[in-house]
Order: sequence, then structure tokens, then C-alpha cells
Amino acid sequence: MDSLLYLFHGFSTAIEPANLIYAAVGVIIGTAVGVLPGIGPALTVALLLPVTFKLDPGGSIIMFAGIYYGGMYGGSTTAILLNTPGESASVVTALEGNKMARSGRGGPALATAAIGSFVAALIATIGLALLAPILVKIAVRFGPWDYFGLMLIAFVTVSATFGSSPLRGLTSLAFGLWLGLMGIDQLTGQARLTFGVPELLDGVEVTTLAVGLFAIGEALFVASRHLYKPEKPIPVKGSVWMTKEDWGRSWKPWLRGTIIGFPIGALPAGGAEIPTFLSYNIERKLSRKPEEFGTGAIEGVAGPEAANNASAAGTLVPLLTLGLPTSATAAVMLAGFQQYNIQPGPLLFVQHADLVWGLVASLFIANVMLLVLNLPLVGLWVRLLAIPLPWLYAGILVFASMGTVAANPSVVELLLLVAFGAVGFLMRKFDYPIAPAVVGLILGPLADSALRRSLQMSLGDPMILLQHPSSAVMIAVAVIALVAPFVFRGLSRFQQDED
Amino acid sequence: MTIKISRIPNRPAAVVAVILFAVATITYWDASQMTVQATYGMSASAASYFVALLFAVLALGHIVSAFRPDEDESEAEGADWKAVGWIALALAGLIAAIWFGGGFILGSTLLFAFTARAFGRKALLKDICLGAVMSVLIFLLFNKLLTLALPLGPLERLF
Amino acid sequence: MRSFFKYGLMAALVGTTFVAGAVSANAQQLELTITAPAGAGGGWDAASRSLQEVMMATGAAKSVQVVNVPGAGGTVGLAQFIGSAKGSPNQLLVAGITLVGASISNKSPVDLTRVTPLARLTGDPLVIVVPKDSPIKTIADLQATIKKDVAKTIWVGGSAGGADHILAALVTKAAGADPSKINYVAYSGGGESLAAMLGGQATAGVSGYGEWEGQIKSGDLRALAISYPEPIPGIDTKPLKAQGLDIELVNWRGVFAGPDVQGKDLDALKAAVEKTVKSKEWQAVLKARGWTDYYAPSDEFKAFIGSETDRVRGILTSIGLAK
Repeated sequence: MDSLLYLFHGFSTAIEPANLIYAAVGVIIGTAVGVLPGIGPALTVALLLPVTFKLDPGGSIIMFAGIYYGGMYGGSTTAILLNTPGESASVVTALEGNKMARSGRGGPALATAAIGSFVAALIATIGLALLAPILVKIAVRFGPWDYFGLMLIAFVTVSATFGSSPLRGLTSLAFGLWLGLMGIDQLTGQARLTFGVPELLDGVEVTTLAVGLFAIGEALFVASRHLYKPEKPIPVKGSVWMTKEDWGRSWKPWLRGTIIGFPIGALPAGGAEIPTFLSYNIERKLSRKPEEFGTGAIEGVAGPEAANNASAAGTLVPLLTLGLPTSATAAVMLAGFQQYNIQPGPLLFVQHADLVWGLVASLFIANVMLLVLNLPLVGLWVRLLAIPLPWLYAGILVFASMGTVAANPSVVELLLLVAFGAVGFLMRKFDYPIAPAVVGLILGPLADSALRRSLQMSLGDPMILLQHPSSAVMIAVAVIALVAPFVFRGLSRFQQDED
Repeated sequence: MTIKISRIPNRPAAVVAVILFAVATITYWDASQMTVQATYGMSASAASYFVALLFAVLALGHIVSAFRPDEDESEAEGADWKAVGWIALALAGLIAAIWFGGGFILGSTLLFAFTARAFGRKALLKDICLGAVMSVLIFLLFNKLLTLALPLGPLERLF
Repeated sequence: MRSFFKYGLMAALVGTTFVAGAVSANAQQLELTITAPAGAGGGWDAASRSLQEVMMATGAAKSVQVVNVPGAGGTVGLAQFIGSAKGSPNQLLVAGITLVGASISNKSPVDLTRVTPLARLTGDPLVIVVPKDSPIKTIADLQATIKKDVAKTIWVGGSAGGADHILAALVTKAAGADPSKINYVAYSGGGESLAAMLGGQATAGVSGYGEWEGQIKSGDLRALAISYPEPIPGIDTKPLKAQGLDIELVNWRGVFAGPDVQGKDLDALKAAVEKTVKSKEWQAVLKARGWTDYYAPSDEFKAFIGSETDRVRGILTSIGLAK
């Protein structure tokens, strides 16, 4: 139980007044930068990391934790209020969250995201403290065949984001898959669909697609309708706080999101996106008001946001035990840790237990601080929507393009961004759902390489996918999830016929 | 031709079908040109063929829906192409500024002012000033304070 | 996501260089720009920024700026550098063996023989490992396994055509098997292939020694050999050459000037680089980053580039990645 002792010690350091101030400052500047459209949590933390260098190690790590949580929260704020997710994991949050904001319920959406993130991070951090060494042993057993099974499940659940027409949903998904082909194939070095443009050899950046389709597409679409249906900034209806009903509809999604997010985040190639898709789908299935999905269901914000944050804590498992960053934000965290001489790896928990638990305590404190500071600010953030439309959208475009140019200073990247913006506009105009395209781009290459690695290891025998019990189970789940709705529909029709 | 096309009840779907067929063809052609083969298991071309097939199937689906008259007719509303044009101009301004070395501040100022114009603001000069002030502030904050590499032009070198 | 990965590491690096930049005093007249043909965070970027830091700290140059031009294994940056740095007295490029391989497998119209080599800087060893409970105990066991069934010997490592892949091919060839039949499963980096090694999904794995050092020291992986020609202090694993296999492969990085840089300009650049590399600050950087010194002056480096290009082309052709 040495670990608890270390944790306790970490807490006693973290709640010193000076450190609490560092945590508060970290949360505030993290949120302030993270809230800019097109700038996701990873970029936020990366940009602000140097700010912490000037402090002593203890204060620095606490401020870093504050920036991390502030950036995460700021990212979902723009997704909800402005429909411009700064990273792929908040794409799902934007789906319902923005619909809520548009109907004047931005306050509760932000609140459920904040509290859900808090709950998820709290539980997942406890999970990290207790389970990390065991989880990582299971996680590395996850072979390519298992990843393929997981991808199949994820693909099936994407259909939840299709909206009214499966044909249009599939087309959007196929567009994402097609973009996912572009670039050098990792396994063989073969270039696909690059048409001799060297800048395309590295493939299409998910952030570029997400920002192009959402932020720029949205601006074009709103402008095109401005004359006919001028969109007035929506007044916040009722309270900015969550009602009793909101609480009742939120707490279960928070817990479910956590349960989905943490273990998948702990997988070496799990990431944060897949848990958000899965959570969204599950909440839609389990909701008592499924008809609200697509028009602003609070469960659709609560679940994915919790899953996102739980998986972020989950990514700390391979990060701390293997030194393996599995998501954008984790990569940034790694850089941060190295700054504090925490060298992640198998020996970390043994050799530097005090540092690890000090970090965990800092994350805890920052998490609490975020909630304390940001819940009162929800009302203020909602005011963002009161900025006159011309300036609001002009600002969104400036920040969105800045984020892209900063990540890769090439004109080709900018051209891609604008092209995706045009596509996003047309997709909105002709009622094609946007999210499946982003999902396709994320999942396509993962599924492709997982399947091909499996077949390479089995020398081409497809049975390898079914020989491993874990992958066989996941593939079965995917098939059942795909087929079951048709079967049930058939059954109910059959029963109706009998009546 | 024109008479024929106007008889298709859902024209957008027909156009999408043509685009999908074209993309499917390009993807199929690209896959057939691939020279590197995997020694074991599937090659890189397999996924391309799969996507090409998917596109072809979706194209057929769109053709079917193009000839189905009862497809929802919600697309009656027009679009303000002038506003879209202004945003297109704004984005073109940004790209041109960065392509020809005009720098981030110039590009963002144009982007800001023209986008605001698209949303019906008439005070172009005022918006240019506003955009310029904002761009300079962003540049100072991110480039100078947070050392983010933004495209440099003549204006940026002054700082 | 990839670009964000770069960002994290970049931010950490920028922090250190920022401080170093501020204290640079009594500098010479050189105002240099270093092109790192990769995103922030990778090895070339780290080398560029370390070079920047030390050049300014030692006064070898008055000011140094690092520009990242990522893309296609460095060939995008190289092509741009060849265009912009022709005859230029103040432009440098940092590159390494991966760019040699990438130019060949991407069929890039430019390669490193087009620029002017100034100095080879660092060279890191690769390591060959097996899972800890593998029956393979020595490199000879591994050779025997390869010879018995090359297809069932599953290698994991970094991207196709990279240094890891090349080393696996060299070992396969030395075992007497056909290198084009190698079963090499490529992952995006040392991290993901590490998980595959620890999960026991592969027979053997290749990575930079530094990336897997933790697992080797903790006993989760068994290191069979390093690819460096001589033993390295602090690394217990023996070189392939000391174990009877005539193979060496070093993940080297070097610094280049543009095409057609001659005379006084070239001498000034050579002198600045030499002053930097021979400083104690540079030695401190090598130690802090875990890099192995692999210095070679301009002429030797130039010959080395030529031989390395031929060798890499030969191997890539034998595994079917180049014609």
C-alpha cells in the first residue's frame, strides 16, 4: 500500500495555497486558449507547456495538469457552441451538443460536459492508480486481429450518426474511407491516390478534414442561408444550469461513458475517438427519448464527453507503463513528463513511484479546480454566441485556418482545408451527414492495417481472425449488431401479420 | 440533353452518382497501377479495390434514388451565392497571401474582412482595420509569446 | 493527430532552445537557417534544434533559425532545400539514413548526393530483440530459425523501407534466406511495435536501441545484438560484428549545405559546424539525448553518402521496394 502513501503525500503537496493558485492559473489559460476554434486540447497544451517551465518542478507539474484539463474542456466548449470541434474526439460531442446550443440549451450542454468529464476523470484516475500494471499486461496481448474486431464494432456503430438516409450516410463514410487511402501505405510503402503530389504522401490529417468540414463548411452554409433565414444568436432559454431532468438523464451516460472509455483508452492503439462513437451509439439505443437524438439529446453529450475524458486517463496506462503515447494529447503529455524527468517505461512505477503519484494527485486537484472555476463561467461562455454573426464567423475562420497552417505550414494543406470546406458546404446543403466522413478517415486506415497485419502474421489464412477467442467474440458482436435490427424488424412484422 | 435531364426527378442525386462513378474509376485505376505487392497476406491495393467497389455500389444507389420521384423535396430553398462568393474570395485571399509570401497577418486580415462582408457587413474598411488588429494580436501572442511558427511576410518581419 | 504528436515534443524542445537563444553572446557574423525535413518532434528536428542551441551558445553563429518542412520521409523538405539553398552561404539541412531510403522508395527525383555534405554528426545503434520467453537465445538461434522457415519468422519494426526494415533484411540475407521472402510487419513507430513484441505476436523485433532500452533493462525483452560496428559503453548488448555476422547499420544523422556551395562560403560553414561539434556543449547534448557520436568531416562524409546510397538501394531492391 505504499502507493496510497505516495498518493497521500502528493495530495498534501498539491493543496498548498501556492500550488492551488498555479492549478487555477493553469485551468484558466488552458481553457482560454483551448476555447479558440480549430485549436484542440493537444495543441493547446503543447503551446502552453513552455509557460510552466519557469516554475519550480512541483508548481510546474500542477499547472501543467491544469492546462491539460482546461484545454480538454475548452475544446468541447467550441464543439458545443460553435459546431467546430478542434480534434476528432469532440466530433461526436458537436453532434448533439451544438443542436442543444442552437435550441438555447447551451448552458446545460456545457455543464453536463464539464461534470461528466469530471466524474469520468475522477473514476478513471482511480482506475489508473489501482489497475495500471494489470491492465497493461492485458493490453499488449491485444493482437492485430483483436484490433480488427474492435474496428468492425466501431464501424457498425457509426451508422448511429447516419441521420435519415443510410445511402447518404454510407456515402459520407465512403468519402472518409477514400481519403484514408491517400498516402504511403505503412505496411508496404506503396503510395495510394497521391497523384504524384509529394505533400499527399503523408496522407490526410484528420484535424484538417474535421476543421474543414465543420468550421469552414458551417461558415459557408450559414452565409448561404443568411439572406433567407438570418440566424439570430440564440437567446439562452431558461436556466444555464442543468435541470433535475438533465441530471437524471446524464448520470448514467457519464458512468457508461467512463466504463467504455477507460479500457479502450488503455489499449496501445485504442485512442479516444472509438469510445466516443461507441458511447454515442449506446446512449442512443438506451435513451428513453431516442427521438431527441439528432435534435439535441443531453445523453449524446454526457456519454461521449465522459468517454473522451476517461479514455484520456486510460491513455496514461500505456504512456506511464510502456512510454507509449497513444493519442495526440498523450504525445503532448509525454513531452511534459520528460520535462519533469519522469521517463515513462516499465521501471517508472518501481523507480519513481513518488513522481507518478504526485502526478496523479496533481491531475486530481486540477480536475477539481476545473469544475470549481468553469461551472460559474458557463454563463460567460454561452455569451460567445452573442458576438455579431459576421465577426463570429470571421473569427472562427481566422482561428481555424491558423490552427491548420501552424500544424503544417504548406499551401497544399491549406488548399485541402478549403476543399474540405467546400465539400462540407455541399454535404450540408444536400443533407449528407458530416460525422461519418471523419469517422471513415480515422477508422479506415486502422482497420486496413489491422486486417493486413493479421493476414501477414498468419501467412494469408483468414481463419486467424476467428481462432483467437477475443477477436472472434468481437467480430460476432459486430455481426449481431449489424444483423439484429433487421431480424427484430422482421420478427415484429411477422407478429403483426399474425395479429 | 437538357430536356432529358430535367425529367430526372432528383437531379442532385444523379450528379452525385456521376461523381461517385468517377471516383470509383480513379480509385480502381490507381489500385491497378500499384507495383509493390505484399509478400504475405493482402496488398495495399486490396483496400483501394474495396473502396472503389463501395463507391460503385453507392453510385448505383444514387441512380435509383434519382429516379424515385417521392424523394423529399425540401431542397426548394435557394442559396445566397453572393455570400458564398465572398467567403470563397476570403479563403482565396488567405491562400494567395501565404502562397506568395504575404504572411499570416495579411492573409488573416483579408479572411476576416471578406468573411464579415459575406455576412452582410457593409463597413469593409472598418472590418479590415479590425481584422488587422486582431491578426497582429494573434501573431504576437502565438508567434512571439508561444513560439508557434506562423507564415512570415513583410509585415511579420517588422516585429 | 500526427502533427499534434510533433507539437508536444516541439513545445518541450522550443522551451529549452528559447533559453539557450537568449544567452548567446559574442557571436560571429553567420546568420543561419537550418531546414529540418520533418515535423517537430522527430530525430531530425531534435538534431536541428540541438545544433541551433549549441551553435548559438558556442558563438559559432550569430543567429540560427530552424524551419520544419515535413513530408514523405523528408523528400519534400529536401526538394525544397535544393531549390532554395543553391549556392547559399547561410542555409543548412539536417538529414539521415531514412532520407536515403525514402528518396529511393518514393522514386523522388532528388536525393542526398545533390547537396553538399558538411559533417556526419550522430549515429545511433539499432537493436534486435526477441520476447523474453522466446526459445531464441542468441543471434545464431535466430539465424537458424530464419533458415528453417523464413515466412514464419515474423519481424516487427518501424515503417516499410526504413532502417529497421533494412536491418531485418540484412540479417535474413546473412542467414542464407531470400530477403524478398522476409515477413516484416511494419508499425508506425517504436511504440506500437513494442506492444506487438511484448504481446508475443512476433518472432523478433527491430528498433532504435534508445526506444526499447527500458524494456531491455527490465528484462521484458531479450536483446540479441546491436547493429553498431563496435561495442558502445553503457550498452551490454554485443554488436552483430562481434558475434560473427558481418553486418553494420547505423541510424546516422548529418548536416548539409545547399548544392554548389563552394570556396570561402563552404569553408565558413565547415568551420562553424566543426567548432560546434567539437565543443563540450555538443558533447553534453549528445549525452543528455542518448545519442552516439559518429562525427565524420566533410570529405569522409561525402564518400559515406555515396556508399550508403548504393547499399540502401541494393537492399531495398532485394526486398522489392525499389526497382
